Order: sequence, then structure tokens, then C-alpha cells
Amino acid sequence: MDFRPKIVAFLCNWCAYTGADLAGTSRIHYAPNIRIIRIMCSGRIEPTFILKAFQQGADGVLVCGCHPGDCHYQEGNYKCLRRFKLLQKFTRQMGIEKDRLRLEWISASEGKQFAELVNDMTKTLLSMGPSKVKSSLEVEHLNV
Amino acid sequence: MEEPRIGVYVCWCGTNISKMVDVEAVTNEVKALPNVTIAKNYKYMCSDPGQDLIIKDIKLHNLNRVVVAACSPRIHELTFRTACEKAGINPYLFEMANVREQDSWVHTDRTEATNKAIDLVVAAIRRVRYHEPLQKRFVNVNPATLIIGGGISGLTAALEIANAGKQVYLVEKSDQLGGQVKKFDLTFPHLSSAQQMIRPIVQRVDNHPNISVFLETEIREVTGYIGNFKTAISVNGGDPVELEFGNIIAAVGLKPFNPEVISEYNYKEFPDVITSFEFEEKLLAGRILTVYGKEPRNVAIIHCVGSRNKKYHEYCSRVCCMAALKYVHQVRAALPSANIFEIYADMRAYGKGHEEFYALTTHRQIMFLMYDQQKKLPVINQADRSDNCNMIIEMDELLSGQSIEVPVDMVILMVNMEAQENVKQVVRAIGVSLCGNQFFIEKHPKLDPVATTTGGVYIIGTCQGPKDIPDSVAQARAAAARILGAIAQGSVPIEVTTASVNELLCCGCQTCIGVCPYKAISYDENNKVSIVNEILCKGCGTCGSACPAGAIISKHFTDLQILSEIEGVMSMS
Ligand SMILES: Cc1cc2nc3c(=O)[nH]c(=O)nc-3n(C[C@H](O)[C@H](O)[C@H](O)COP(=O)(O)OP(=O)(O)OC[C@H]3O[C@@H](n4cnc5c(N)ncnc54)[C@H](O)[C@@H]3O)c2cc1C
Ligand code: SF4
Ligand code: SF4
Ligand code: SF4
Repeated sequence: MDFRPKIVAFLCNWCAYTGADLAGTSRIHYAPNIRIIRIMCSGRIEPTFILKAFQQGADGVLVCGCHPGDCHYQEGNYKCLRRFKLLQKFTRQMGIEKDRLRLEWISASEGKQFAELVNDMTKTLLSMGPSKVKSSLEVEHLNV
Repeated sequence: MEEPRIGVYVCWCGTNISKMVDVEAVTNEVKALPNVTIAKNYKYMCSDPGQDLIIKDIKLHNLNRVVVAACSPRIHELTFRTACEKAGINPYLFEMANVREQDSWVHTDRTEATNKAIDLVVAAIRRVRYHEPLQKRFVNVNPATLIIGGGISGLTAALEIANAGKQVYLVEKSDQLGGQVKKFDLTFPHLSSAQQMIRPIVQRVDNHPNISVFLETEIREVTGYIGNFKTAISVNGGDPVELEFGNIIAAVGLKPFNPEVISEYNYKEFPDVITSFEFEEKLLAGRILTVYGKEPRNVAIIHCVGSRNKKYHEYCSRVCCMAALKYVHQVRAALPSANIFEIYADMRAYGKGHEEFYALTTHRQIMFLMYDQQKKLPVINQADRSDNCNMIIEMDELLSGQSIEVPVDMVILMVNMEAQENVKQVVRAIGVSLCGNQFFIEKHPKLDPVATTTGGVYIIGTCQGPKDIPDSVAQARAAAARILGAIAQGSVPIEVTTASVNELLCCGCQTCIGVCPYKAISYDENNKVSIVNEILCKGCGTCGSACPAGAIISKHFTDLQILSEIEGVMSMS
């Protein structure tokens, strides 16, 4: 069977999730590879969530919050950004390629940008092939 | 925990969902999953019969959890939560899968869309198993209201609330009430007097027994929460006065853009290049004269100054097109033989009576000239002695496709409306956010335009985005109605999906205190643990992910709930 990458996405309720809804209301089509999980604020993102997604077999993980300065919780997305850099370092050490984990800002009005982002990430993952995290983690019995 | 008994309902949404998602296949796929008691699909889940289906099943099958796969939870989560509540189960024992906005409407392959729907429904089922009942909580509402900004919006809201017999504290930064309207001569589209409109309003506010006005005053810090806010203000440098109020309205308006930065217009270089506001001063003074004390023979009005241009502001200021047409009428009335040039990029006449107003101006012998905002702005140059005018505007006229020179003696710049200088201080004090254009962000751009994500804080008038007087006034009355409603109720519900600290796990490091944007966490010296004030907490979850000890639970977004959801979306692959 041909490779169908799977992306787990964490979208903040106020901006990114609303933006993804807008892509729907505007009937902007995009790749069906994404599974969206709603959180209240990108500040809620924990490394465990991201590692869990990879461990479960996600080929890519996408975190979307409001643009800097646009956060509904005043500064949650800055906190997410700070923590994300650290996490990216960590996931790379675990052998997860950089492009498999992305943090992007999507506002409530950026339905089109969201669709483009999903297509772009799907394309990248298609060229990268499946993630090997799941199988390697199974060997190590690492449970996150 | 009692064994979950879950009812799953897949909505067709007519053909909106069923056309792209095989709802029958989704239902069958999840029917046999652990804890699923029944799974059904129905044409319109949000309709009364749809909701009744859930209510009846809850009673009949003793369900204690419900999942609906339908539109976005942002649209109908509340509808279904209420249905659950009606049937006697806690509304938080419900979860929604978004298979319309984020599935059937955005995909074109039926198999893929159906698989995705299955993943999303499975995730919702797994998640809802770990949902816990949350209890609604209420706080009492102090019946006084703080209004920041005394323009037409703030004044209107103040009168509405005060006339209902409730106390208003109205704080105005400048030394007078009235805001921008106070600076205008006439108003579009009826060319009625701004002064005759605003003066009596200011007077009524000044004399109202329920309104205390504080001029030349600014708010630096507000403490408390919905229903129970506090601030200290100092009037004329005197002793601070402590005010207590239950709701807040921000009505700080916008300020005119300074066109000095646009080199093409040579504002400040040429004294007869003036802004719309400076032109209003002339109109109020009753005479349109150049700095040389002469009546201009040629008047140009340039639109979109600092607006709709990436270099300055990308957004449209919305009122300047109509204000420009207002000037056309006023100049024509005062100077019957003057040449009037409307130099515009687009003519925006969106409002009630605006298109008709535009049509009227076309009978006023006006020369309409169009320029391309993105390609080249008109350039205002000094005229030669022989030119018989003060200045020359060079421009590429779009409709004729020609480069032309326009002789002028006075140029009116329709300047953009931008955020007030101290806007950051205001938003920080009252706990709301600004969008990229520095406008106050509403709770929901369509369904909740005057509320904010901070309970008890409302935004009205132009600080929420450029708008005209009728729209500002409508918002003012809307916010007043919301506040009077809350006061009438006496108490208001507060966020229940808050954070809470497990004192057994908390190590007292206080990391959480530093990250909370709402100052909702404090340190309990006696027990050496942090505690969340659940009234201040907005449930963003930032503290939960920052806590190194895993001591913070984000209610309704617990680790277990989110991790189960992740497992769910991945379980079918
Ligand atoms: C050139 C021009 C012409 C216009 N003509 C028309 C027209 O003909 N018809 C029409 O319908 N609309 C017109 N408008 C639009 C109209 O001006 C606005 O709709 C209206 O002024 C909005 O009122 P407001 O109360 O929201 O804001 P404002 O009128 O801007 O009032 C805000 C008030 O808040 C005060 N303030 C600011 N910061 C603080 C602070 N930190 N603390 C306390 N107080 C503060 C300000 O001093 C001010 O008094 C025009 C606009 C422009 C720019
Ligand atoms: S209202 Fe007219 S003049 Fe004002 S920014 Fe919009 S298009 Fe330009
Ligand atoms: S971050 Fe966690 S452990 Fe540290 S004080 Fe806050 S709740 Fe306690
Ligand atoms: S959830 Fe957000 S608002 Fe609530 S205490 Fe934690 S950081 Fe503060």
C-alpha cells in the first residue's frame, strides 16, 4: 500500500482551531492526512503529547497557536515557543528529523494559510517516508 | 469511576457531512468499541428531534457519556451539553468530533474523509471516558460599572446603564468628554450636525446622578475578577480614590495616523496639506481658507492615507471614504466655483444610506481620480509661480491610464485611524488582548463581538476596529444590555475548566506563578504549596505544562484526556 503520512496537530481554540474551521466554512480543500486535537492555548502543549503522538505512529506533529502578540491568553504562545525550541532539540536527539515537528502561527482568519500549511507538511512527509520512531520506541520499551 | 456507558451520534447535517463521509460506516465501525452502548446516525442532530434522541437514549439506556460527531464544537458544543444536562447527566460528560468544518467540507476523497471521521470519533470516545463532571460556579456581581473612554461609545453605554438606575464610573484621559465626534462639524450620510448630536449627550452624562466622571484620568491597574473588580485612580494628582465595580467597558477609540512619514505627501512641509481632523477644525470655525487667508480655488481630497498599504497599515479605516464625500458636499456648499478632486484608491460605501450618499456627490461637479495604492502614491509638489496654484499633484490616473498633474491650493489627507499610544497599558490593566492591527480582540468575531475572553470585560466602539457612529452606538448599547443582564441576575457563571493544584505533588517551586498570564496563582506560605484562584483562572493550561512536578490538573484538558485522544486518532492506522 502506498505511504499515507499521518499528522497529529494540536490547535489552540481561539486562533488556529478557528482558522481550521474557517478553511471548512470557505470550502478550501486540503490533504486528508491531518488529525486535529483541540487545546485551549498552545501554552498547554506538553512534550509528552508530542512524544506520545510519535510513539503512536504519527509521521509528523504540528503545533499551531495564535500569532505572537495575538494570543487570547496574552502570552501563552510565547511560552509555547520557548518550550518548543527545547523540545525540538530533544526530539532531534531522539532521531526525529526536524521537519517532522513544526510549530506555526495561524490566526482565526487564516483558513487558507492553514490549508496550505497542511498540504506543505504532507508533501514534505511524503518525500521523507514513514517515521521510524514507533518501531524504535517499541524496541526500547520506552513509554511516554 | 462508574463504568462508562457511551452513546455515539453521527450527524449527517443534511448532505453537508453525509455526502463526503459515509455516516453509516462510521456508526458501524464504532458500535462495537469498548464502552460504546449505542451508536446511531441522524439527519440533523442539532434539531429538536436530534436532541430528543440523545435525551431519550440517556434515560432509556442509562448512558453516562455522550459523543456527537457533527459540526465544530465552537458552534454546537453548548447545544449538546445543554441536552445532556436536560437528561440529567453532567454537561461536561460530553465530547464532540468535528467532522464537518475539519473533515467533510475540506476533503474530496470519500474513503479518506470517512477514515478520518472514524479516527476523530474514536478519539472522542476514548477521551470522553476520562471526562469528569464539573460543577457550574457563580460569583456575585457588584452593580457598578467602569467605563474607560468618554467618546460617543462610552457616553452611550454610560447613559444606558445609568438610566437603568446603576452606578457608572466614567474615566476619560483628555480634559473633555465627546471623543472624536466633538471635533466634527457635520456627519455623514445625512449631513446633520455633530455638535447638536454630541452636546446634549455630554450634558446628560455630566448631570446624571448615577454617573461619576473622572477627566484627565487613566487606569493603571485593575485587580479582581468578573463581578468584583477594583482600581485606584488619582484625580488631579490628589489622593487615590478606590473604586469597586462588577463590569468594565473599554471604549478608548482610535487616534489619527500621522502622515508625516509618507514622503510623497509632504505634510508639514506644505502648510496647506492638512489632515481630515485639521479640516474639521476649519469647518467648525466656519471658513475654509488657506494659510494665505484665501479661499482655495482647487481642493483635493486624498483617500487611504496610511490605510490599505503594507508600508503603513494594511487594513481599511472604513469611515474615511464617506467622510471624504461629506467634505465634498461641504466644500461645494462653501466654495461653489472651486474645483474639487477626489483622489481615491477604492470607494467604500458599505453602510446604510452610503451608496445613495455616494450617488449624490456625483452630481456635485467633482472630478474623481483613481490611483493604485500598491503601485504609486500621488506626489504633492510645490507649484511654479506661473502655475496659478500653490501645489501640483502628480499621479498615475488608473481609469484613463495616464500620468496627470492636478493643480491644488489645499489638500485634505483622509488619514488612517490607528491604536491609541497607551493602548498596551489599557489592555494589560483589564486583561484583554490586541490583534495584529492593535485592535482589541472580541470573544467571538461573529457571535460575541462586544465581550472578551475575560469575563466581565467588554469592548465597544472603534477600539475594537474602525467603524462609524451608528455601529459604535449599537455596540455600546449591546454591552450595556449584557451588563444590565448580569446585574439583574445578581450572579454570573464563571469558567469551570480551570486549573487546580494537587497539593500532595506540588513541590513549592512556584514556576507556575511566573507563567500564569492572569496572576491567578499564589503561594501558600503555611503549606508551602501554590494555589490557583479558580475565579481568576481562565483555564489556558500554561501552568499545567510548566509545572515540573506534574502537580497541576487542567480540568477538562487533563493529560489523560489529551493522551487518550492522541491514542484515539492513531488507533485505526
Ligand atoms: C475624519 C473622520 C470623520 C468621521 N466622520 C464620521 C461621520 O460623519 N459619521 C459617522 O458615523 N462616523 C464618522 N467617523 C467615525 C467616528 O469618529 C467614530 O465612529 C467614533 O468617534 C467612535 O467613537 P468611540 O467612542 O468609539 O471613540 P472616540 O471618539 O475615539 O472616543 C474615545 C475616547 O476615549 C478616550 N481615551 C483614549 N484612551 C484612553 C485611556 N487610556 N483612558 C481613558 N480614556 C481614553 C479618548 O480621549 C476619547 O475621548 C469619522 C471618523 C473620522 C476619522
Ligand atoms: S474607508 Fe476608504 S479611504 Fe478609508 S481606508 Fe477604507 S478605502 Fe481608504
Ligand atoms: S509549578 Fe507545580 S510544583 Fe511548582 S509550585 Fe506550581 S504547582 Fe507546585
Ligand atoms: S490555567 Fe492558565 S490562567 Fe489558570 S492558573 Fe494556570 S496559567 Fe493561570
